[in-house]
Amino acid sequence: MNDTPQIRLALAKGRVAKVAINLLEKIGWSFPDYSPGSRKLVFEDSTGRLAFFLVKSPDVPTYVEKGTADLGIVGRDVLMEHPAKVYEMLNLDIGRCRMCVAGYPGTTFSYNRKLTVGSKYINIAKQYFDSIDQPADLIEINGSVELAPVLGLSDVIVDIVETGDTLRENGLDVLTTICEISSRLIVNQVSLKTKTDAILPVIEAFEQAESGD
Amino acid sequence: MLANYTIDGFENIQYQGFGRLRFIENLLTDLYANFGYCQVETPTFEAYDFYANEDSINSDDLFKLVSSTGKVLALKPDATLPIARMAAINHHDPEEIIKFSYLTNIYRDFSAPEIQKKETTQAGIEYFGNQSPECDGEVIALAILSLKLAGVEDIHIDLGNVGFINELLGVLDLDPDQKQRLFRYIENKNIGDIRDFLKKTDIPEKYKKIILTLPRLYGEPEKIFGQMRGLAVNPAMSAAVDHLSAVYAHLEELGLSQYVQFDLGFTNNMNYYSGTIFKGYIESFGEPVISGGRYDTMSARFGIERPACGFGIDLLRLMDYLEKNELIPEQAHAKSVVLYRPEEKPAAFLFSSEKRRSGSAEMFSLKEIGAQDMVRKILKNPHYKTADIWLLDHGLFRWDNDRFAPADAENSALYQKSGEVR
Repeated sequence: MNDTPQIRLALAKGRVAKVAINLLEKIGWSFPDYSPGSRKLVFEDSTGRLAFFLVKSPDVPTYVEKGTADLGIVGRDVLMEHPAKVYEMLNLDIGRCRMCVAGYPGTTFSYNRKLTVGSKYINIAKQYFDSIDQPADLIEINGSVELAPVLGLSDVIVDIVETGDTLRENGLDVLTTICEISSRLIVNQVSLKTKTDAILPVIEAFEQAESGD
Repeated sequence: MLANYTIDGFENIQYQGFGRLRFIENLLTDLYANFGYCQVETPTFEAYDFYANEDSINSDDLFKLVSSTGKVLALKPDATLPIARMAAINHHDPEEIIKFSYLTNIYRDFSAPEIQKKETTQAGIEYFGNQSPECDGEVIALAILSLKLAGVEDIHIDLGNVGFINELLGVLDLDPDQKQRLFRYIENKNIGDIRDFLKKTDIPEKYKKIILTLPRLYGEPEKIFGQMRGLAVNPAMSAAVDHLSAVYAHLEELGLSQYVQFDLGFTNNMNYYSGTIFKGYIESFGEPVISGGRYDTMSARFGIERPACGFGIDLLRLMDYLEKNELIPEQAHAKSVVLYRPEEKPAAFLFSSEKRRSGSAEMFSLKEIGAQDMVRKILKNPHYKTADIWLLDHGLFRWDNDRFAPADAENSALYQKSGEVR
């Protein structure tokens, strides 16, 4: 007997997914098919009421906005960089880190000197430097962002920083923090209303797990 | 490969899609006409100055041009504002009942990325001069009926009242920037960020609690009516609740309330809405296909105090849904192709005219091409796969199983009609 519709959850691959799946299991769901190395794409829980799938993080808001997934868990950085029409209902205590400007210690910002900025987060970087009226040239980089100041591609970088170890190993340091980042539970705007009875318990369970910690 | 000169953000509508779009357009304009709405059209070009002062649409998102006299023009970015202006210019009595419908293209999101659509087609209605909840009720009912008539059953209407939030936030001591941020958080149901935001302000505890409830103030109307009343801290908020419940009661009596849910925590980026506000969704797609509400203060900008309520439907998005779900009946349109030897031209014309009584007929001369070759050429376009192909060559023949066969019955009918031509 199953008259409540299945809820689909999109998770960002990687660290966030691991913690989220642990959290799901902690609040009572079990996913017999799931193992970290599995090649399956969609995993159902043992009751068939919840299914999750793993996608690259920028795709999570897309799946949720279009209604292919009812819920999603994704970092705030992704939502800031690619805004989507979804409800950002909960701040989860997963993947806590900071969005920072980093570079060699002593690098100064000045309105009369243009700064070259390397980042994966072009929109966030642009918004930040606009807000402090710092002229900046932006260069989009997709990985190993720390390389950019080391090799002289850019003066500073904008990136998420968790421990700062990678930065320090390369002689770099955090110059300013733009904002705090954590994962968000996002919800499709229509699903929340049409599948309320099935979705709310999941949201509440996450909320309690959060406040319990 | 030739350059195709396509501009991103704009779409060609193929003839197959055009027929379907026309079908929906006719359905909707007939519906609105039957409810007494008169169709109007406003110019494609608008004065830029008007929108530069309008905070609903970011001026970066307007398509701008300069006229030969140096005036800055904008492509029509919204259907409602020009129609309200038109009503203000031609109807000077604010009590007049004026009902307009429209079907128009609008141009927005100039500064958005190329993959975003910038030209959309909207159909909708505007109802002026009636302040009663029944007016809102009629407008919402028509929004629901528009979708139902198009065959959509999976309809979801979010109904709210911007008066409720505006009155609440009006009481608080917030600067415009803070207010806008709080609005956005409430609209995104971003409870975590609302909490962080409230921590940093010195809003009285009582109001903080209400603000934190707003994002959760949605769902079955019966469930949240009581809750809404409890949260109303001033007469204006209570009035918003009363109006909303009257609108809902109206829809209940019409038997349309099952499509409607309340959401007090949503606003609209079109800032001109002043009271009832609603959005219509189909399926789980996160973007609404219908958007509407009451805008009682807008006409004052055009020099007349006049209540108004209306909505618009994004037709291209509705069409996408209908096509995907095969909800548009394929028009069975009989097609005839008539090939003729040059000396048979008058007879071919007569025969074609006969065929056009119940479908389309096209004529092709066989002056420089053989009948078989002409058939091959015609069939290159799949459009003709369903056509009846005829040949007039000292008698009437019909293309059947890759050859022309005499069509005797049709032939004698033709001879009777065209006796004097032959």
